[in-house]
Parts: sequence; structure tokens; C-alpha cells
Amino acid sequence: MTELYAIVLFLVVLFFLLGTGVWVGLALMGVAWVGIELFTTRPVGDAMVTTIWASSSSWTLTALPLFIWMGEILFRTRLSEDMFKGLSPWLAKLPGGLVHTNIVGCTVFAAVSGSSAATLTTVGKMSIPELRARNYPEKMIIGTLAGAATLGLMIPPSLALIVYGVTVNESITKLFFAGVLPGLFLALMFMAYVAFVSLTSKNWNPTVERNMSFADKLRNSRFLLPVFALISVVIGSMYLGFATATEAAAIGVIGALVLALLQGSLNWGSFQQSLMGAMRTSAMIALILAGAAFLKLSMGFTGLPRALADGIAGMELSRFELLMALLVFYIVLGMFLDGISSVVLTMAVVEPMVRDASIDLIWFGIFVVVVVEMAQITPPIGFNLFVLQGMTDHEMGYITKAALPMFAIMVVMVFVLIFFPDIATWLPDNLRQGPS
Amino acid sequence: MKALRKSLDALYLISGALAAMCLVAILLLIVVQMVARWTGEVFPGAASYAGYAMAGASFLAFANALNRGSHIRVSILLNALPDGPKRLLDIWCFGLAAAIAWYFTYYAYWFVYWSWKFNEVSQAQDATALWIPQSVMVVGGAILAIALTDNLLTLIVKGEHRLTRDIVDQSFGE
Amino acid sequence: AEKWDMPMAYSASNFHSENGMAFAKCVTDGTSGDIEITVHPGGSLIAGADIKRAIQTGQVQLGERLLSGHQNENAMFGFDSIPFLAPSFDDSAALWKAAKPKIEELLAEQNLTLLYNVPWPPQGLYFKKDVNSVEDMKGVKFRSYNNATSRLAELTGMLPVTIEAAELSQAFATGVAESMISSGATGYDQKVWESLTNFYEVDAWLPRNYIMVNSDIWSDVSDANKGVITTCATEAEARGLQASKDYTQFTYDGLRDGGMKVEAASEELMTGLRAVGDTMTSEWLESAGDDGKAIVDSYKSMQ
Ligand code: NA
Ligand code: NA
Repeated sequence: MTELYAIVLFLVVLFFLLGTGVWVGLALMGVAWVGIELFTTRPVGDAMVTTIWASSSSWTLTALPLFIWMGEILFRTRLSEDMFKGLSPWLAKLPGGLVHTNIVGCTVFAAVSGSSAATLTTVGKMSIPELRARNYPEKMIIGTLAGAATLGLMIPPSLALIVYGVTVNESITKLFFAGVLPGLFLALMFMAYVAFVSLTSKNWNPTVERNMSFADKLRNSRFLLPVFALISVVIGSMYLGFATATEAAAIGVIGALVLALLQGSLNWGSFQQSLMGAMRTSAMIALILAGAAFLKLSMGFTGLPRALADGIAGMELSRFELLMALLVFYIVLGMFLDGISSVVLTMAVVEPMVRDASIDLIWFGIFVVVVVEMAQITPPIGFNLFVLQGMTDHEMGYITKAALPMFAIMVVMVFVLIFFPDIATWLPDNLRQGPS
Repeated sequence: MKALRKSLDALYLISGALAAMCLVAILLLIVVQMVARWTGEVFPGAASYAGYAMAGASFLAFANALNRGSHIRVSILLNALPDGPKRLLDIWCFGLAAAIAWYFTYYAYWFVYWSWKFNEVSQAQDATALWIPQSVMVVGGAILAIALTDNLLTLIVKGEHRLTRDIVDQSFGE
Repeated sequence: AEKWDMPMAYSASNFHSENGMAFAKCVTDGTSGDIEITVHPGGSLIAGADIKRAIQTGQVQLGERLLSGHQNENAMFGFDSIPFLAPSFDDSAALWKAAKPKIEELLAEQNLTLLYNVPWPPQGLYFKKDVNSVEDMKGVKFRSYNNATSRLAELTGMLPVTIEAAELSQAFATGVAESMISSGATGYDQKVWESLTNFYEVDAWLPRNYIMVNSDIWSDVSDANKGVITTCATEAEARGLQASKDYTQFTYDGLRDGGMKVEAASEELMTGLRAVGDTMTSEWLESAGDDGKAIVDSYKSMQ
């Protein structure tokens, strides 16, 4: 009964603070404070500061501002135009046209970045202005971006998979491999959806791209060289053993600076602007992460996530029923926690349940990542929604609605995983060695 | 009064610039660590220093980001309200946010005080006395609290807060 | 009834965590629910590095911490991690017996009361090739995570590279690192046989996890309940030690099944490593002063 009371209280306070317009990071701190104050006798202030310091001074976090800075630099180069010039001839004739650049762009960038927010910022900054200029429906631009950016978590390197692998003691290398095919398949499903909408929707009237001969298309592909050079350097440094995932982010920044310098778009002014912009965007995310870390502590003290997981464990379900229950459970939890926190908080109880049901832990890692991806775009606390709100000035409600079809596609993806588990397990089973 | 306004704005600008320098420091630290490894050298504690710079880049940037409208909030209700009630709701937001920020700063101060008193040192190879990097949390928290209070008072006295949107940020938003 | 929170750093399936959960149940049952302990494994409540301070300041009532993590704060906390000083479960027990009064005194000054401690399986060396002497270790990229492991690398001519735990598997897979010193358990959990080939049972040291309670909270516990907790702690200590021994064998078998060569180090390699150990012991004694010397002397007199 305490649990039910706790759930209701958390929800009421959270909705009240967020709804009245309190800044998200500070609202999370407020909710966490109320939770600890009411449900424990622990000293709140000390716990708050200890947790916030630990989460804010973390080395693993440094990849985030670096990838954001990289995006800010690229945004000030001609890279966005170039990527369009390169990709558009190939994608323009597909049903759905240039909206596919959102998805292809995110898929490509996901192979560089371990985070969904960084993927979203970089690709979004490049693609939103271009797509708007060509009169694509705003909802499709926003929605596909919100959804496809979550591929940053599925396609390796992935922060979420690292956290999961460490928590359940499974091979991170294997998990990384397991993420490749499902990530690509999910991207294909997003693209299929875009094609379907473009064929059936009446307000799909984008500016028509000029027709091009095959030779012209190939010639235009030279514009893609800088992008692919950058990506090769970043990915290559990682897979050839020159750099860890975090260091690859630093290489990305330097690569972007070099690229901007070569294009002549780097001067003191644009350097300063990119730096200050990155500083503010990462501060925005850091404040929310600080609040989320404190909320995680508060929920941990109240025992709520574990109580819910215990409840499911007590139902003695079949394998399929268990997965369905976990799906619903993580969707609900993902509305209020960021996905990685909900994994850490519940894995202690969920892991034995999953092992008992003889579910492959590598496969389950991918299942979890899809669910974590969903959490990125579900309100009231969904990171991609926040980032997109910061980028576009649209309201949360609008962005949520735009992203809803992507959410539905991810639910479909869960069933694809359940009925065709090989899509996740084939690659790691057949590639025993590391990526070098 | 004007002098106060000027020094406050300078405070937000300087803290933002320092945060940006922390970002550059992260980049340099990681690059130096990487190059050190390639060349068989050791740079002990690089990861910790990058972590401290990360904290600096965050805490020192909070106030600057606030004034430039970078921090996210749900503004459906705010946008729907007429001016009078909107102002009251904004007062509630700034008031509560300022209270949280001051509360945090107060406990952060004692946290750092005890780190100093306990002589707490980093557990990693840098063995830094932790009160030194942790101080950015107090400083940054205080500047954020000041900025929120500043906005709250301006809102009460003049009827509107001082948050703006960055023109560059908007250029890709349109 | 009181509710106590007990953060632990390692995953729920780790034997330390399972032991801790059994301890918590023993206390909850033994005090008939007067004191109900909730275990939060895997750093899910508080991350490992912050657990000691969280207990000290009363944010949680009790918790588990690898004390050698705090040797920057006080070299004494590193007594259980001096390479090749006490290279077996029995030696480690003798070393703990010698150190116990000093460590308990040190903890008391920090508002901490020790309940029990359990050693990790002995630390061995992981490589990507056959290694028969210290000479063979020259130039190998060795994962270091603190001053002692860096120094170890330096003294054996290896290149220390700093890799955070989260990136360990990837670092081995990509060749950023080629060697580490750790227990069989770590290698087994991280499935390092995907990238590494050799494990040498050099039994360098057996670091310990300490379960500590906030002294203010402890002094408020009734004598009857103190008795229950102490009994549970004694049982947990014995159970944990046995689990650690059993797990050592289990993980060695696991590494073998994974395809690794698991063997004792050659006499030549051990001689070289013991010399490194002597150097590091004397260096530790310099920083740990008279208290440290007292521990080492007392330990050596038991041999
Ligand atoms: Na990724
Ligand atoms: Na969500």
C-alpha cells in the first residue's frame, strides 16, 4: 500500500511542478526532495549534494559535451548543405524524399556517438533547416528525428549497452555486435513508415528536387566525402584501438575543427559561438541529469522500482507473458525515469527473473535498449523531447504527438525481436572475436 | 543600481566563459591522455581532471544558460494564460527554483566544508584534495541561485523576467 | 521497527552481494523486524566510491566498501593490497589478524564501526601471450587503475594505461590494453577470454570488502539487537570466506572453459615478482609509518 501511495505522490508532485513551468532539472530535484523527506528519515541535503556531485563530475559524461560541441562546429560549416547535396540525389526519388536524410543521418551518426541526445543535436541542427526550407511536413521532420536519434543507443558504441553489460556481467563487445542488425532494421522500419505516409498523406507537397543523371549523382556524392572522412576517423580510432569511446568524441571535435578550417568557415567568431552554444546546451542536459540522479536516489530509498519489479516476479508468468509484463513495466517506468536509470534500479530483481525464464541475456540487452529508446520519447520525462523542445521551440505535446508513430514502430520492433531473436543473436554468435 | 546590474551581468558572462574554458580543458585533457598512451607515457589522473572540468563546465554554465533561455521548461500553461496570472505563475516558478538553488548551494557549501575538514582526497591516481574541484559546485550553485533571484526580483518590480533566446539558437529553429 | 539501507557496490549476483543479502535477512529475522535491512546492490543506491562517506555522514546506516580504494586518504587502508606480502587465503587471514586493531581504531575515528569483512579471490595476472619471466612483461600495455598498479607496471617494465572499468572489455578487444591484474572473478565476469589468453595464479594480494555501520546509529541499537547483528556478522564473515574460496576455483574453471590457459606462474616469474613485491612493501611502509610497520612486523612474526 505504501507503494501505491508513493506512486501517486510522485506523480502528483511531478506533474504539478512540470505543468506549472518549473525548469525540468529543478522540478526533478523538487520531486526527489519530497520523496526522501516523506518516506525516509535520511538527511536530504547531504544525500542530494553527494549524488549530484558524483553524477556531475563523472569522466564517462565528458563524451556528451564533446559530441555536442562537435555538432555545434559542424552546424557552422557547410557540412549540412554538403550532406544534403550528397544524400539528396539518392534519397530524393524514394517515396518520402528527403525526410529519409533524418533517418540515414541519425543511423550514420549513431555509429560515432554513444548517446541519443548527441545524435539528435548534431543531425537535427543539420537537417531541420534544410527540410523546412523544402516544405516537408513539420510533424514528420520532428517525429522521425526524435525516433531515429534513439538509434544512438542501439547502434554501437552505446552508453546504454555499456551500463547494461556492466550491470548484468555480460560481454559489452557481444552486446555491441548484437545491436548492429536490430539498429539497422529499426532504421528500415522508420524509413518504410516515412514512405507509407508520403504515399497516403494529402499534405505531402515538398519542393521537388531537380532530376539528375546517374553520373551527376555520383559526382554529387563527393560532397559526402567530408562527412564520411570524419566518421571513418572517429569510428576507425575506436575500432583500431587508438581511442576509447570517450576519446573518440575528442577526436570528433578536432576532426570537425579541421573540417571547418579547410572549408574556410572557422574563424574566432564562429569558434566562440560554437563553444558558447555547446556550453549552454550541455549545461541544459547536465541540469536535468543532476535532477535525474537525485530522483533516482530518492526512488531507490522509497524502494518503488524494486517493489514493482517484485510484483511482476510474484506473478509466475510464462516466457512471453513475462516479456509482455516487462515491456509494459519499462514503458511506464520510462515515462518518469531516464532509461539508463530504470535499468540500473531494477536489474537486480529483473535479471534473476530473466535468467530463470532461460532468456539469453545478450538478446535481453537489446530488448532493454529498445525499451530505453522508447523512454527517450515518452512524456513527461523524455530526453529527446526536451532536446527537441530546446532546438525547435515547439511545445512538448506537439513533439510527443509527432514522435508517437516512432514509439509505435519501436513496440513493433519488440515483437520482431521476440519472434525473430536471431536478428540480435546471430552476429555476436558468429563473430566471437573483438572488432579489431 | 546600474552598477549592480552591470556587475551581475558581468558575473553571468564571466562564469559562462569559465565554463566554456572547462569544456576546452576537457578536450585538451583527453587528447593529452590519449597521445601520452600512444607514445608510452603516463598521465596519471587525467580521467579525474576531465571529470572535474566536466563539473566546472556544468555548474559554471547554469546561470548563463538560464539567462539565455537554454534550460527546458513545459510552457503550455504559461503560454495559455493572460498576462496577470502568467506573471503570478512565473513568480512561483522563479521563487521555487531560487529556493531549490539556494537550498542546494547551502548544502553544497557544507558538503565541501566537510570534504575539507575530513581531508577527503580523490580515490583515483590524481589524489586531489576534493574540496578544491568541489568548490565549483558551490560557486556555480550560488551564481545560479543569484540569477534566479535576480530574475524573480526583476519580475516582481518590473513585471517581466530577463530570459532571452539566443539569436543563433533561433536561426536554426525557424 | 527501523528501516536500514545497505548500499553495496557489486552486482546482485556477485558472491559478496549474495552474502550481504543473507546477512540482511539474518538481521531482519533475528531482530523480528526491529531492524529491517534493505540491500541495494550494484551501486544502485550509492556508487561504490561514495559509500564510505555516505555511512560516515549518516545518509545510510551501513554499507560495503573496498577499503583499499581509500588509500590516497590514508595509506593504512591499503594494507590488504600490497603485492606479494600475503599471497594466500591463510596468509591474508594472518595479515588481517595483525591489522584488525589498527584498522578498527582508524574507522572509529571516522565514525565507522566494522561489522565484518570478506576477502576477494586472489589477484592474478592476465596476458595475451605466454609469460615466463618478468622480462617477458616488458612493453606490454597494462591496465592500471591506481597508484599501486601503475607502480607495479613501472617496476616490471610494462606500460601502464588507464582504462575505466566500464570500458575494460572494449579496451581489451581493441588492444588498447593487453594485460591486467585482477581476480579470476573479474576476468570471468567480464568474459575476458574473448580477447586475452593467459591467466597466471600469482596470488598477488587479496583485497577485502568491509561492511561498516555508522557508529552513532550503532550506539543507539539495543544490546539484544547488537548481539543479533554481531552473530549474523560472524556467520557472514565465515560464509563469505568460504564463498570466496569456492568462487576462486569456479572462476578458474570458467576461464579454462572459455579457452584460457590458467596455470601457476613459473618459478622464474615468481622470483622476479617477489622482488617487485619487496620494493613495493618497503615503499608502502614509508608512507604508512610506524603503524604500518607494526602491522607488517606482527604479521611476519606469525609466519
Ligand atoms: Na551509438
Ligand atoms: Na520518458
